[in-house]
Amino acid sequence: MADLSFTRRRAILLLSLTSVILITMDLRGSSVINFTRSAFGVVFRPIESATKVVTRPLGNAWNGMTHYNEVVEENHRLNDLVAFSEGSTISAIASVREAQELLSLNGLPTLAGIASCTAQVVGQSPSNFTQTVEINRGSECGLKVGMPVLNAAGMIGKITDVYNKRSVVMLLSDPGYSLAVKVVNIPAPTTTTTAAPGTVVGDTTTTTFTTTTTTLPRVTTTTGIPGFVPGVTIATSSTLAPLPGEVTVPVGDVGPNQPGKSTNSEITVPAGLDVPLRETGALEGRGISRTPIVRFVENQPRFGAVRIGSPIISAGGATSLAPPDIVIGSVSRIVNRTGTLGPILEVALAANLKNLNFVRILLYQPSSERVVAP
Amino acid sequence: MIERVLLLAENRYARLILIGLMVLSLQTTVFNDMRPFGVCLQVMVLLAASAGLARGSDVGAIAGFIIGLLYDLVLTTPMGLCAAVFAIVGYLAGVGQSLVYEPTWWTRMLLGSIASAIGMILLPIVSTVTGATGILNARVLFVALIVGLFNAVLSVPAERLCRWALTEPAVVR
Repeated sequence: MADLSFTRRRAILLLSLTSVILITMDLRGSSVINFTRSAFGVVFRPIESATKVVTRPLGNAWNGMTHYNEVVEENHRLNDLVAFSEGSTISAIASVREAQELLSLNGLPTLAGIASCTAQVVGQSPSNFTQTVEINRGSECGLKVGMPVLNAAGMIGKITDVYNKRSVVMLLSDPGYSLAVKVVNIPAPTTTTTAAPGTVVGDTTTTTFTTTTTTLPRVTTTTGIPGFVPGVTIATSSTLAPLPGEVTVPVGDVGPNQPGKSTNSEITVPAGLDVPLRETGALEGRGISRTPIVRFVENQPRFGAVRIGSPIISAGGATSLAPPDIVIGSVSRIVNRTGTLGPILEVALAANLKNLNFVRILLYQPSSERVVAP
Repeated sequence: MIERVLLLAENRYARLILIGLMVLSLQTTVFNDMRPFGVCLQVMVLLAASAGLARGSDVGAIAGFIIGLLYDLVLTTPMGLCAAVFAIVGYLAGVGQSLVYEPTWWTRMLLGSIASAIGMILLPIVSTVTGATGILNARVLFVALIVGLFNAVLSVPAERLCRWALTEPAVVR
């Protein structure tokens, strides 16, 4: 026998050397090792899947024996959370309804005014290169190519083929999908520092209204600016003491000005100052294994830096296939680019595209495509 | 073609690879979920120890190397690390078995348990040598104890399985 021809020392030496070579190759990032691992994965995954199916009852029995109490406790906790969420949802629905009424009163388009058709996903594309699903509604329901498709979480795609009783929906993750979107950025909270009454900062005067009180650290500083004392406590008042010869600004008697609130002050902060800033871009799918991205977001100083978690909604517009303000997802990653190129935003979709069942098709057509009655 | 397949099936290491794949699938599924005291049970190291118990230190070392290599292919640790450790485990189990006069089922259980525990101690040591940090601590002993106790229970059937798989081709024919 060949294996028995090895002496013990030779066998041990060979095994040791092989191990050392393999470890060295792997630690140096050898592509051969990576290829071997991935090839083994292709062979092993079906075996593992079959074993998982067979041993599931065993695993469930074990988990039932060992984790029963934890599951019961978690169930109680989640029931409380559901009760809490239901209350919040009712309040949110009321807010949304108010917002829609306001939009309607101002003649602005709302989702509530768009008819819709509910359908069920009945199949998935067998192709590896397109991300589409088939639904059980078609032209009989008034569906047309290009109409946006949503589920409870948000937008999932658009209609690409319509038949009598079925349609094909291209998912957001398909590389051929593109849509105008808005990124809603919430400005970072800022702290404003103002000077104390009677304190002159340099040769100029800044009038600021704020409720923030900031104490500067007491450090020994020398300055040549007349009247400026380093290390004083500042911003104890909302106004500055007037300099000789300056016009006095009257102060409101209801405290500092608030956005949207009227005071007796002649200077008011306009309402909507803290309204989230929005920037448009183009959403593009990149296949099932990669998250969609948003391009063409401009680097505007007013817009500021995009934050992870910022919501992404449809932009709407005369030529857009989707109405405005449909939830798409949130920013999951920001890839900054040099120069004037805006960042590329990776999007975590609100809808789970891997688990689709009932969907809603908005019977929406952009104004540019609507047939005008003679 | 069929004769080639039969010849391959006669090879004891080919049979060991097939059994290794089956045990590996159990390791990554059911034993990955069952974590008594928070310890993931290690049946792959038991298979290596059982190979040594069944067929001696030389065959045990080679079988342990093969089983460890299979395990390396699904782990994120450097390739060859488990292979080296399991080869030592298989070799030690074989040496231990050879030192026992008239081995019985309970000596095999004990040896399988000790070899598994040694493997669980060696694994973080070798990992640390290859650059891993933070894994060599007192918990290693606890893990070795739990794995050793569990593997003692399964060592007798595992040893029989390995004895069958590593049978000489002539005997099989």
